[in-house]
Amino acid sequence: MTAPVAQRRVRISRVAGRFLVFDIDDVVYIRRHHGICAVLTGTMPQNPTQNLFLGLPVELQAEEAQLLVDKGVGYVADELSEHLSLLTSADDTARKAYLQHLKQLRRNAQLAFEEEKANIQAKHQAKRKVAAKPAKAAEGEPSSSSTKPATDSESTSLPDTTCVVPKSPPKESLPAITPTTSSALISVTPSAAATEPPVPSSSPSYLLYRFLNSRGYYFTPGLRFGGDWSVYPGDPFRYHAHYLANYYGWNEEIPMLDLVTSGRLGTAVKKGFLFGAQKPSPAGGEVSDTPKQDSANQGGEVRVFCIEWAGM
Amino acid sequence: MVISDHLEALTKIVLHNLRYQHDWVEVHQYTKPELPRPMIYGLPPKRLYVHPDEQVAIIRAEKETGQRIEPEPELEWVLPLHLSEKWTPGQFAALFDAIDSIPPGGPDPDSFDLDDPASQWKLWQGPKRGKRVLLATVQDDSTVTYYWIFDGLVKPRQN
Repeated sequence: MTAPVAQRRVRISRVAGRFLVFDIDDVVYIRRHHGICAVLTGTMPQNPTQNLFLGLPVELQAEEAQLLVDKGVGYVADELSEHLSLLTSADDTARKAYLQHLKQLRRNAQLAFEEEKANIQAKHQAKRKVAAKPAKAAEGEPSSSSTKPATDSESTSLPDTTCVVPKSPPKESLPAITPTTSSALISVTPSAAATEPPVPSSSPSYLLYRFLNSRGYYFTPGLRFGGDWSVYPGDPFRYHAHYLANYYGWNEEIPMLDLVTSGRLGTAVKKGFLFGAQKPSPAGGEVSDTPKQDSANQGGEVRVFCIEWAGM
Repeated sequence: MVISDHLEALTKIVLHNLRYQHDWVEVHQYTKPELPRPMIYGLPPKRLYVHPDEQVAIIRAEKETGQRIEPEPELEWVLPLHLSEKWTPGQFAALFDAIDSIPPGGPDPDSFDLDDPASQWKLWQGPKRGKRVLLATVQDDSTVTYYWIFDGLVKPRQN
């Protein structure tokens, strides 16, 4: 199980400035191995105002996307430019392969339709049999004999009428579909074109995010508790959030009222208010002299503080 | 260290508030060159903070001995602040670096018996105690609010 996981590279699609993951295996992988649960945002096409039971794609925060890029397990693909260039520059074989893929999708759809049709027919027939049996038992011999010819005539007459209709040419008629993904079109490997990072690696939000993520904390957006993030001690499926968190720069001034209000709010929802920052590394050197520490300790130390109401 | 009038007044307000409104005893000012302003430490009438893991240890000890344990009050640090102030994370870090977890006059962390299974819960008053400071925020109407600030990741209490 570990071997395929090690090679996995998560495709993060940048669409209109948002970072989306469309592959369910990628979603499971980053949740399980990198502590990123992110937010499901997909609605059904028929119901764009849906706000419950959302599905793929998963939308990553910029910090989460940056972390995957930094760890080398993901890459950001600019979907608009990539799709355009792939569609215009595809050579003949690639083009044919793509068209073949579309045809296969349509065939699959056809098979699915037929299967469903057969299921429905089988169900109807079963129902008819159940309905016919008690009727037979109640009425006895004569009635059953009277119904039989009727069904016989039906079955014989129907093929006759269909035969009148001129036969359609024996061409494969497949249903039209709109492909839900363009997985066959896009390359599996990241394109060489360098994309700008989701967030600068030195931004305060990213530094605090990386620090807490490396300690096993999970994040969800924090608006519902009045902060930048809600921070969970493990997967949010299993735990309540421990903290509501805000990030600041090392030398950013925080009004005392912000600390008091957030601390008060946090205590009211049984959470601590967490804030923190990374100390800028001395002499501007990016790499610290400590040789082999986890990646979260690049640069200066990260200091975090928790605030709670004192109850007095 | 030269203390400005404003800081002196601020410290006095908090000191009096602790002494006369919250019945603290042994309240003292604490100055140190590394500290940007005088701090206060003192003894509250009852225990102000119980770490969630300390609570677990206490309940365990209560179960073993069959006796109720009432945690004794501990000496606490207090930082007087005015509501109009703005502090940076860097300043808070420097403040925590300048103090010990236990204020002067408290128990010596080295005097605890680390191996005695019956007194594990007591370690939270000594070596296991993290750095914490009461932020005493003063407003102009002389309201003082008290909030804990902890150094590092400290999980919230199960209140």
